[in-house]
Amino acid sequence: MGEAVPSAEEPILAASRISKSFGEVPVLFSVDFDVRAGEVHALIGENGAGKSTLIKILSGLEAPTSGTILLDGQATDLPRNGEAEALGIVVIHQELNLAEHLTVAESIFLGREWTRWGFVRRTDMREEAKRILDGLHVSIDPDARINTLSVADKQMVEIAKAISRDARVLIMDEPTAVLTPAETEYFFAQVQRLKSKGVAIVFISHKLDEVMKLSDRITVLRDGQLIATVETGDLTPDSIAEMMVGRELSNLYPPKQEPDFDAPIVLEVEKLTAPGVRNVSFSLRKGEILGFAGLIGSGRTAVMEAIVGLQGRSGGSVSVRGQPVEFKTVAEALRAGLVYMTKDRKGKGLLLNIGLQPNLTLLTLFRHMRAGFLVESSEVEAMERATRRFDIRARDASVRVGQLSGGNQQKLMLGKAMESDPEIIIIDEPTRGIDVGTKQQIYHIIAALAKEGKSIIVVSSEMQEVIGLAHRVVVMREGRRTGTLEGAEITEGEIMRYAAGLKGDREDDRASA
Amino acid sequence: MTVQAHEGVKPARKKFMTLDFHTLGPLLALIALCIFGFLLNPAFVSEGNITNLLTRSAFIGIIAVGATFVITAGGIDLSVGSMAAVISGVMIIVMNNAIGTMGVGVHIVLIGCVASIALGLAAGFLNGFMTTKGKIEAFIVTLGTMGIYRSLVTYFADGGTLSLAFDVRDVYRPVYYGNILGIPIPVLAFAVVAILGWVLLNRTAYGRYCMAIGSNETVARYSAIKVDRVRTLTYVIQGFCVSIATIIYVPRLGSASSSTGVLWELEAIAAVIIGGTMLKGGYGRIGGTVVGAIMLTTIGNILNLTDIISNYLNGAVQGVIIIAAVWLQRGNLTTLSPFRRKRAS
Amino acid sequence: MQLLKKIAALAVGSAMALSAPAMAQDNITIGVSIPAATHGWTGGLNWHAAQAQARLQAAHPHINIVLVTADGPAQQANDLEDLVSIHNIDALVVLPFESEPLTDPVRRVKESGAFVTVVDRGLSQDGIQDVYVAGNNPELGRISGEYFLTRLGDGDNIVILRGIPTVIDDERFNAFMETIEGSGINVLDHKHANWNRDDGFEVMQDFLSRFPDIDGVWAQDDDIALGVIEAVRQAGRTDEMFVVGGAGMKEVIQMVMQGSELIPVNVLYPPAMIATAMDVTVAHFTSNGPVTGEYILGAPLITPENAEQYYFPDSPF
Repeated sequence: MGEAVPSAEEPILAASRISKSFGEVPVLFSVDFDVRAGEVHALIGENGAGKSTLIKILSGLEAPTSGTILLDGQATDLPRNGEAEALGIVVIHQELNLAEHLTVAESIFLGREWTRWGFVRRTDMREEAKRILDGLHVSIDPDARINTLSVADKQMVEIAKAISRDARVLIMDEPTAVLTPAETEYFFAQVQRLKSKGVAIVFISHKLDEVMKLSDRITVLRDGQLIATVETGDLTPDSIAEMMVGRELSNLYPPKQEPDFDAPIVLEVEKLTAPGVRNVSFSLRKGEILGFAGLIGSGRTAVMEAIVGLQGRSGGSVSVRGQPVEFKTVAEALRAGLVYMTKDRKGKGLLLNIGLQPNLTLLTLFRHMRAGFLVESSEVEAMERATRRFDIRARDASVRVGQLSGGNQQKLMLGKAMESDPEIIIIDEPTRGIDVGTKQQIYHIIAALAKEGKSIIVVSSEMQEVIGLAHRVVVMREGRRTGTLEGAEITEGEIMRYAAGLKGDREDDRASA
Repeated sequence: MTVQAHEGVKPARKKFMTLDFHTLGPLLALIALCIFGFLLNPAFVSEGNITNLLTRSAFIGIIAVGATFVITAGGIDLSVGSMAAVISGVMIIVMNNAIGTMGVGVHIVLIGCVASIALGLAAGFLNGFMTTKGKIEAFIVTLGTMGIYRSLVTYFADGGTLSLAFDVRDVYRPVYYGNILGIPIPVLAFAVVAILGWVLLNRTAYGRYCMAIGSNETVARYSAIKVDRVRTLTYVIQGFCVSIATIIYVPRLGSASSSTGVLWELEAIAAVIIGGTMLKGGYGRIGGTVVGAIMLTTIGNILNLTDIISNYLNGAVQGVIIIAAVWLQRGNLTTLSPFRRKRAS
Repeated sequence: MQLLKKIAALAVGSAMALSAPAMAQDNITIGVSIPAATHGWTGGLNWHAAQAQARLQAAHPHINIVLVTADGPAQQANDLEDLVSIHNIDALVVLPFESEPLTDPVRRVKESGAFVTVVDRGLSQDGIQDVYVAGNNPELGRISGEYFLTRLGDGDNIVILRGIPTVIDDERFNAFMETIEGSGINVLDHKHANWNRDDGFEVMQDFLSRFPDIDGVWAQDDDIALGVIEAVRQAGRTDEMFVVGGAGMKEVIQMVMQGSELIPVNVLYPPAMIATAMDVTVAHFTSNGPVTGEYILGAPLITPENAEQYYFPDSPF
C-alpha cells in the first residue's frame, strides 16, 4: 500500500550509526534509521532485537552510547525525560500511559494544561479535546473517565494526545497488539489521516500483515544489527519473516494430531452462568486442543475464570473427569489438575519486580518444601529444567521479570503453569505481543503437550492462531456460545460469522459440543 | 531494553556487585555511627553501654520484625505502640488481681504472659480481619485501633499510671534485667524472634507468599495464594511480636500509662524501611530491620553520651541520620560504579 | 422569736447573696478546660478536676461545671469556642496547653463576658485573666537546689534530667542553676527526658555509662525519677547517689515516707492546683469576698516528717 505521499527528500528524524550498551551488554550496533514526513516506517524484529531501545533513543528517553541523532538534518542532543515532545516527537508506548482516573480531556492535556492566572481552563480544554476527537471521527466523550473506555478508545485518546501536541514524528510501539480486527481497521484509518497531514510515523508491530498493509518502508533489526531498510512493495510476508528470524520459517504451526476418537472427556461444562457468561456449555477431551474464538469482550476469559474459581458462578455445572466440581480458589482447581494462564502477563501473571525463579515456583511452592522449609536447590533445579524445556532466555536468574521480553515472560508463565504438572491447561492469549520466532516455539510446545495427552484450551483473538492450532473451536459472542466448529469448518470466515452474530443460535445450548 | 543472552538463564552467581549496598548499606551506616559514637565518647564501646543499647533496641526491634511481615505484604500497622501500651496495662491489671487469689509466684508472671500473648494475637487478628474481610485500608483500620487502644489504656489507668505490685515485680524483674551466659534476656529474645522471623520470611512458602502479595496482589491470587489468609496472618504475627516485646517491657519499669509506647509505631516502621524493606511492599529483609532498630536506638544513645550537640537539635540529628541511612541503602553510592544496573523497560 | 431569728438570718443571707457579683440563684455554668491525661501529672490533674467538679456541684446545686480535656493547643482552642457558643459559660477555668497559641482564644472568652481563671501556665499578655492560680516553677527549682546545697558541696558531681523543652522546664532549670551557683557542685550534663519514665530510664542509663562518679540526680519530675531509680538499681549504684524528683506523685511520696536513702525528699508541684482554681472561681459567685488576683502556691519540700499530709492514695498520680 506504499502510495507514498510526496515526501520531502530530507528525513525529519534520523539516527546515524547509533550504538547502545547497557553496562557491558551491547544492544544496538551502529544502526541507521530515518523517517520522512508523510511516511509510515515500520520497525520490525524479534523480541530482543533492539526495537524498543532504538525507539527510546529516537525519543530521547535514552542517550546513545555512540552515534548521532539528526532532527531536520541537524545533529541534536534530544532532551531526556520525554521533553522531546516539545520538538514534536511523540511516543505512544505499548502499555498505554494514561492515568486511569482522569477524564479524556484531562488526559489529552496532561502535563501541559492550559491555564489562566494559574487556574486550569477546563471548558476551553474540553472544547479543544472535543474538536480533536471529532477531527479523528471518534465518538469519545471528553468527560469520560479513562477507566471506562475500551482499549481501542484509549488508543485513540493517545493519538488525540499526540495530535494536540502537534506531533511531527509519531512513534507507536505495537499499537494494535490489543485491538480487535475491527478496531485495527479503524485505527489504520486514523493513521492514514495523520499520514496525509504529513506526520512522520514510526510503527512497531509483530503482525506482518499489518506491516505490509500500512507501511511505506520497513526496517528489520535482528540481535541489535540493522538487517535491511526496504520499500514495502519489494517484500513478501515470508521474506520479512525470514529476515527477522535469520532462518527459514517453514511451518509456523505444527501439524495437527487429532485426539483419539474415543478419548475420555476430561472437562465438561454445562450451562455455565457467571458475570459476563450466559449458559455456556462445552467439553474437552484428553489430548485435545480446543480453541476459543470471539471478539474482545465476548466472555471467553470470564468463562475460564469462572471455571477455575477466580469468578463466582451463578449457575451451571463443571465436571472434571466425570466428577462435578465447584472450585472456590485457584488452589482447588490446581489440585484437580487444572491450570489457567492469564492473558494479562504483567498485571496478573507474573511478579515483575522480582527474579525468574520465585515466579516460576510461586504456584507450586509446596513441591519445594522439606519439613515446612523451602529447599532452594530444588527451586534452582526447577528453574534449570524450565529453562531447558521452554528455552527461556535471560542474562541470569537475578534479572527481574519485568526486564524480560514478552516472549520470555510468556515462556516463563508456561513453565510456571507446567510446574504443577496439570492435566488440563487453559491458555488465554498465548502469544500476545510476541515475536514470530517465539510464537512458533510456543505453538510447538502446545502441540507437544497435547500429544503427551494433556488437554488444552487456547483462548485467542488471533484467528489464525486458533485455526492453526485447535482441533475444535468454540466461538463466543456477548457471553454466549454461538457455535462450535470442527475440521474443515474451521475457517476465518466461518469463525467471523459466528463471532459477529451473523450465524448461530442465540440460545445455543442444544448439542453439548 | 530486553535482556537477552543466548545461553539461557545462568544462575544468579554474580551477587557480589549487585547486592553490595542494598544489603550492606544499613550495616555500613550503623558501623559509621558506632565509630562516630566512639570518637565522641569512648564510653560508647564500654560493655555496659553496648549491653544497654542492645537491650533497649529489643522492644522496637521485636515489634519491627513483625512490622517487616506486614509491610512486605503491602500493609501497614500504626497501632503497635498503642497496642503495646494497652497490653502492658492489661497484663499489670491481670497480674495484680491474680495475686489476690493465687499468691505471689512465677505462675503470676506466666498468667501475665499468657494474657499478653492472647491479647496480642487477638488485636492483630482484629486488624487483619478488618483489613482483609472488611476491605478497609490498613492505614485507616490501624489508625482507628491506634486511637482505641491508646484511650483504653488511659481509661484503665484512670488517666494515671498502672503499677505492678512490688512483690510480683521482684519475681518478674529478671526477665528484663537478668541474663543468660552474660547476654541480657531481652537481647536473646530479640535474637530468637529475629531468627525465627528470618526463617519464616526467607525459608518458607509463607514468606514467599507475603512478598508475592506485597508485590502484586492480583498475581498472587491468580497463583493459588490465599491472599486474605496470608495477609491477616501478617497482622497476627505483628500482634504476637508486640506481645513478646510487652512481656520484656513490663518488668523494666513495672508500670504502664498512656505515655507508654508513644511513637513506637513510627520507630518500628522507620527501622523496617532503614533496613531495606520497601514501604510499598513486595520485598522484605529481617536482617536489615534488626540493623535499623539498633541504629535508631544508637542515635539516641550517642546523643546522650555527648554534650557537643544542643539538646534542642536531637530531633534534627536523628532525622539527618535516618535519611542518610536510607540514602545509602538505596544504593546511591553505587551510581558512581561503572557496574550500575540500568532501569530498563 | 425563734422563727423571727430564722427569717432574719434568711433575709441577711439573701441580701448577701444578692450583693454577690453575679446573680446567685440563677444557674451558673463554669467551663473547665485542661489537657488530656497524657502523662502522670496531667492524669493527676484530671483526677483532681473531676473530684472538685463532683464536690462543688454537690455543694452548689445551681452551679454546673463542664469539664473538657484537649489533646493539643488547637483542640483546646476549639474547646474554648464550644464552651462559649454551646454551653454559654459564665466562667472559665483554663490550664492552657501552651501560653502563646491560647492567649487569643482565652481573650475571646473574656470578651464574651465570662470570668476567667488561668491555671499554671500564664498567658502571654496581662490583663486578660481575673484570677491566676499557679504552682511556682522557679520556686520548685530553687527549693530543689537548696536541698542539693544541704547535701553536697564543692567538687561533688550531679546530673540533671530535664522535661520537655518549654518555659516551665526553663524556669525550673534556671532557678536551680542560680541556686547552686558558686557552691562548687559540678553539673556533669543535663538532657531532656520529656517527663517520661522510659526516657528517664534510658537517659540515666547513658549517664551511668558515661560518668563513673555521680553524687546526686535532679530529675525535676517524679515520672522521670522513677525511670532513673530503675536505671540506678540496674547499674547497682544505689549507694552512690540520691535522686530528687518533683510534683508529689504518690509512689514517690510513699518512698519518702518510708525514709528511702535513694529518694530522700520530694518537691511539691501539685496537680491539685486545678481544684484550688475551681474553688476560687466558684467562690467568685458564692462568696462576698473579692477573689481576683494571683494565687501562687508554694513548692514545699516534702520530707519523711511531713510526707503524710501530701499523700493521696486514691489519686492516680
